[in-house]
Amino acid sequence: MNTLLSLFITLVIVAVFILAIGANPWDAGRAIVEGSLTKKLFLGQTLMIASILALTGLAAALPFTSRLWNIGGEGQMFAGAIVAVSLGINLPEGTPKPLFIAVILVGSFIGGGFWGFIAGALKAWFGASEIVTTLMLSFIAIFIANYVIADVWPDPFSQKTVSIHDNAQLPEIWQSANVDISVIIAIVAAGLAWMLMRGTVLGFSIRAIGSNPNAARLAGMSTSRVTIITFFIAGGFAGLAGSVAVAGIFDDLDINFSSNFGFLGIAVALLARLNPPLIIPAAFLFAMLRVGSNSLQAAADISPTLGDILVAVFVILLMVTGAIRFRYAQNVTN
Amino acid sequence: MLTEALVIMFFVTGIQLMVPILLAALGETISERSGVLNVGIEGSMLIGALVSAIVGIKLDSVVLGLLLGSAAGVGTGIILAILYVARGIDQIVTGLLFNIFALGFTGLLHNRFIGGQVGPTLSPFHVPLVGDIPKVGEVLNRQNILFWITLILVFLVYYLLNRTWWGLYARAAGERPHAAESGGLNVNQLRYPAVILGNVFAAFGGAALVMSSAGGFVPGMTAGRGFIALGVVVVARWNPFLVLASASLFGLSQALQFIAGQLDFLDGVPDQVWLALPYVVTILAVLLSRGSQYPAAVGIPWRRAVAGRA
Repeated sequence: MNTLLSLFITLVIVAVFILAIGANPWDAGRAIVEGSLTKKLFLGQTLMIASILALTGLAAALPFTSRLWNIGGEGQMFAGAIVAVSLGINLPEGTPKPLFIAVILVGSFIGGGFWGFIAGALKAWFGASEIVTTLMLSFIAIFIANYVIADVWPDPFSQKTVSIHDNAQLPEIWQSANVDISVIIAIVAAGLAWMLMRGTVLGFSIRAIGSNPNAARLAGMSTSRVTIITFFIAGGFAGLAGSVAVAGIFDDLDINFSSNFGFLGIAVALLARLNPPLIIPAAFLFAMLRVGSNSLQAAADISPTLGDILVAVFVILLMVTGAIRFRYAQNVTN
Repeated sequence: MLTEALVIMFFVTGIQLMVPILLAALGETISERSGVLNVGIEGSMLIGALVSAIVGIKLDSVVLGLLLGSAAGVGTGIILAILYVARGIDQIVTGLLFNIFALGFTGLLHNRFIGGQVGPTLSPFHVPLVGDIPKVGEVLNRQNILFWITLILVFLVYYLLNRTWWGLYARAAGERPHAAESGGLNVNQLRYPAVILGNVFAAFGGAALVMSSAGGFVPGMTAGRGFIALGVVVVARWNPFLVLASASLFGLSQALQFIAGQLDFLDGVPDQVWLALPYVVTILAVLLSRGSQYPAAVGIPWRRAVAGRA
């Protein structure tokens, strides 16, 4: 009920905003829906972006459950993408496809995981605020990607690397819409995350620390160990998003491949109430907004960033109306 | 070659780059001292920058650009204060979402109304006496008036927080909200102005970014300065004078990229190293300020009903 109310208020606010800047809200709405679903290629693109957003959504959802604010999904995704493109270009061309793909996926998970691990370790060992460090690490990862693109394996004609080998490209499952196994990767990842959270000691610790860190410590849980592992796994999921972009969508590392996918993952995680299975539909909804927004410029003369406004206003209103709630450890003040 | 001209250039640019970060960090200091962690300063900076660019271009006025750009901070401050304080929703998550909103909002308005246009910018401001000091004068004579205004604001913020009743009460709200309420203060009424003022500072910082550079707007032009400011505040232990010191460290680390290209002994180093340096410095600085403790009640929304039970 509160969710529908939030959606309604969001649409009203954004419609008024569109009117205020002198454009037509109806055209805008139609452009978003038509531009994301009606053609096979559009739907395919929506599914691929949804896979990325689901993975970056998991990268936010797991740590957030433990009240660890991983806002560095963007950088962890870039770290994964850098590993994926390095392997895709440099492993021998004759490597059998299944092996090649497996190496890339594992490599990008470790790459993103390492980037997450740094923030987790700095938090656990030095008490460094992860809000600051994860974001700073994101900028650093993007500059490293820039370096790889400009100086290591540059494509002579544009701001991207040379292409990865054919055998490194993720196999397609729906050829005519350019959809590949990324969709399966995302669904499996969400399933694994759900099993991790509900069926393992680690998942229990993550939830326990999130709801009451002092009680969790008294019960003998090591908050620093859980912090580091959580950040590694979260970064790994974001890293997989990087390999979806590199080995799935683009076949190279393009400096502009991400339109804030790492940050949108935060909104996805919140809409899904940090619950892994709900991440999939939440990611699909926001991917629709994102891909549909690409048609806005042509149809209604509004720039594609309208999609981000819709996402942010909607999720903020979900919190305002109480559709999403966070609990607080009230003992901190004493 | 490391010439004198290059060193002067380094400090001129470094101080110029310091100003927006310093303004945002001063605003964040006020807000956090009252108990509100405003992660949304990055967004307020962006909106302040956009408004000042639009006003500057359309009305061809630097002063109006700066004033209305900062006034945009009143708007974002009221919205954020309602969300953080009145509704009491999670400050970190709200701030992050507000940044996503601001990125989309400013990108859209920029695209529709100004594009690549540029407006008027500030020229250097000469202060008598100070400008005559050798070397130092050469650096300071090339700063615009915003540098001097910001310097005065450092003193004013210190005075506000440490020498006025409001400052004392606001700090009580940030450290011991229960005690503050028992003492007859209204915690939320203290936090509203702190959050709004903090966002005005951030928006002013965004406006300063525009008016001290090309006079135009580029989507995402704040490039994480709001987040760097969050780090600066921690390093400076919520003390305005230390905020000045640590913000200048970050300004100078950003300036290095502009002179590194001209130093032959740094030839082999990729440009990206210099570009990434301010972000590395932020991480290191946060690591080194281990003992720095946030005000005790930062980040926790205050609900009067809770006071009765505790």
